[in-house]
Amino acid sequence: MTKRSVTIELPHLSRRRMLLLGSAVAAGSLAGLAPRPASAVLKLDVTQGNIQPISIALPDFTGLGLPDPATSRAVTQIIAANLQRSGLFAPINQAAYIEKISNIDATPRFPDWRQINAQALVTGRLSRLQDGRLGGEFRLWDVFAGQYLDGKQYQTPFDNWRRVAHIISDAIYERLTGDKGYFDTRIVFVDESGPKERRVKRLALMDQDGANIRYLTRGDELVLTPRFSPSTQEITYMSYGQGHPRVVLLNIETGQREIVGNFPGMTFSPRFSPDGQRVIMSLQQAGNSNIFTMDLRSRATTRLTDTSAIDTAPSYAPDGARICFESDRGGKQQIYVMGAQGGAAQRITFGEGTYSTPVWSPRGDYIAFTKQSQGRFAIGIIKPDGSGERILTEGYHNEGPTWAPNGRVLMFFRDPGGSAGPTLYTVDVTGRNEQRTPTPSYASDPAWSPLLT
Amino acid sequence: MRTGITISTVGHAAALLWGVLTFATTPYKSDTLEAMPIDVISAKDFSQLTAGSKNAPKVEAAKPLVEKTGPAKPPEDPSAKVVDTKEIKAATDAPPPVPEPKPKTPAPTEKKQSEPKRDLIADALKKEDTKKPEPKKEAKAPTPPKKPVQEQPKFDPRKVEALLDKRAPQRLAATGDMINSTLSLGAPSGMAAQLSQSELDALRARLAQLWSPPAGAKTPEELIVAIRMKLNPDGTLAGPPIVLTSGKTQLFMASRDSAMRAVFRGQPFDMLRPEHYEQWKDIEITFDPRDMIRG
Repeated sequence: MTKRSVTIELPHLSRRRMLLLGSAVAAGSLAGLAPRPASAVLKLDVTQGNIQPISIALPDFTGLGLPDPATSRAVTQIIAANLQRSGLFAPINQAAYIEKISNIDATPRFPDWRQINAQALVTGRLSRLQDGRLGGEFRLWDVFAGQYLDGKQYQTPFDNWRRVAHIISDAIYERLTGDKGYFDTRIVFVDESGPKERRVKRLALMDQDGANIRYLTRGDELVLTPRFSPSTQEITYMSYGQGHPRVVLLNIETGQREIVGNFPGMTFSPRFSPDGQRVIMSLQQAGNSNIFTMDLRSRATTRLTDTSAIDTAPSYAPDGARICFESDRGGKQQIYVMGAQGGAAQRITFGEGTYSTPVWSPRGDYIAFTKQSQGRFAIGIIKPDGSGERILTEGYHNEGPTWAPNGRVLMFFRDPGGSAGPTLYTVDVTGRNEQRTPTPSYASDPAWSPLLT
Repeated sequence: MRTGITISTVGHAAALLWGVLTFATTPYKSDTLEAMPIDVISAKDFSQLTAGSKNAPKVEAAKPLVEKTGPAKPPEDPSAKVVDTKEIKAATDAPPPVPEPKPKTPAPTEKKQSEPKRDLIADALKKEDTKKPEPKKEAKAPTPPKKPVQEQPKFDPRKVEALLDKRAPQRLAATGDMINSTLSLGAPSGMAAQLSQSELDALRARLAQLWSPPAGAKTPEELIVAIRMKLNPDGTLAGPPIVLTSGKTQLFMASRDSAMRAVFRGQPFDMLRPEHYEQWKDIEITFDPRDMIRG
């Protein structure tokens, strides 16, 4: 087989022509590579927003077989009041609603709700179950996206209908803000009544919205600084009965009380550890005060600080690994952070004035304190490493901050002096939305319980 | 070889010597320049500066600077010129019976009547004068102050030119170098063939106004949400926006919902011009609240 090679005869071009041709080809290919406006996606960055309360519509819950039909309306109002008090929601007046919700399982008419500019919609139903219990359920809708966001069902003894309202408020709060709610909680505080010279101080317990108040002590002994146990239904407080102060453990449900330890001196400002197994307090002996912990089961006590200064008001971090406390070892009262087993303490506050009553946030990101400077009292927060100190409220005389379980709200008491007594206030961790918490009489030393569920 | 080296060395030495001698120096004198204050601004600032405001008071359009304003001359009428020459010719030949009443230029015709000779000179002067106020009239022509002498019914090619001129009537004589920094009703904004920075800024401003991210979060990184939206030519959403970032925590869901709500509520996005639709029909927005959340 003969090989046949195919030869292509190129036209005979002069060198110059070849050069021109080559450069033309090159130019043409380069032109082809020239950048064209890409039909790509337009990219945009939005880095500033406009933080506003979420406008939310809450038509009355429907009721099914309820002994008192007003209960469903009351539940709706509790939820609306909770959300409004948090400062993050703006419930819309029911008079403006266009659609009437009668069946919560049907999809609402979103254009009607968009017209009143509601960003979220809550519908719900309360019903009496066959066994006599209360069934509560809700649906949460995103109006502008036209989507179903969340919905839950609860069953509980009928008398707990207020708690159902608080639990539903928590679910709505969590879904729309991303933070856990704090509405299904209680506050323990010292209720003060009577004339200023002879104030009667009783331990009182109420829901965080001021309802269901009940008194835990009779008022014949002086009570101070009540605190909740994180895990059980117990409160620890200081009582001045029988002459000298002692730490008392009180079981809310049974009413049983127990003296914590038999110390040869005065014990102050008790607090529970995050696991509920220990109580930390300060013990005063011979003019100075040191921090001790006591294991609740074994009743063994451990000394944590051993200085000649006054160390008091200890508070655990939520992981239980560290504590913060107030000490005047540096001259004036300042806040120190130390390991939970003792050891070297590190000072974290360096500002003007004295710092006291430190409380570690349940989220672990801040420590709240009372700051006193030039006759003015302020409630502030600081990060555990000592940076980011911020004053939330100032006045005369603010004291005793306590954190809500989601670490976003603080409650404290304010004593205006004179013949009036102290009252409770809440403020958001951003310093906004300061509100008064209504109590039947004067109130001080509040403590916030963990979530009841 | 040897001769070559010598010649080369000599040549190089000569060249070097010449260079040393001739480049000795009068130092270069630079003219003292006047220092000009300049400001560097970003494109975003520029578009904010020239954006204008709907509620600003109306600013009187600045008239171009002239040293001396001559007596206001009635606008020249080219047809009048043509007729005038005829008239002059007629004057030299025989006195014109009756001058044609010219509604717009009664004065010159009257003058011509009385003194035809001077007319030539006057005419020539007039022609020269009209050349000077011409640029003035160019700028003045589109602004509509009522002059006692109106040109309306007569066809004036210069007016047509003004009509064809698409530039904004309030533009200053020295455009391009000056930025009008006072807010003024109707201040012209830069219109490029591309999607302008001011349109993007307006879109960003609307989304920022409607976006309310969850505040006080511990870990702001999980609040970043990227959303892709496709738009119809009228600025409404063509379909549900797609969320590009993912997450499972409650905090992420809350921030995703707040970003989506801002996108839904922002409809219709009428600040985007329909002629640039090809460029903004598909937008990816990244909502990043980290700058807002500070310690």
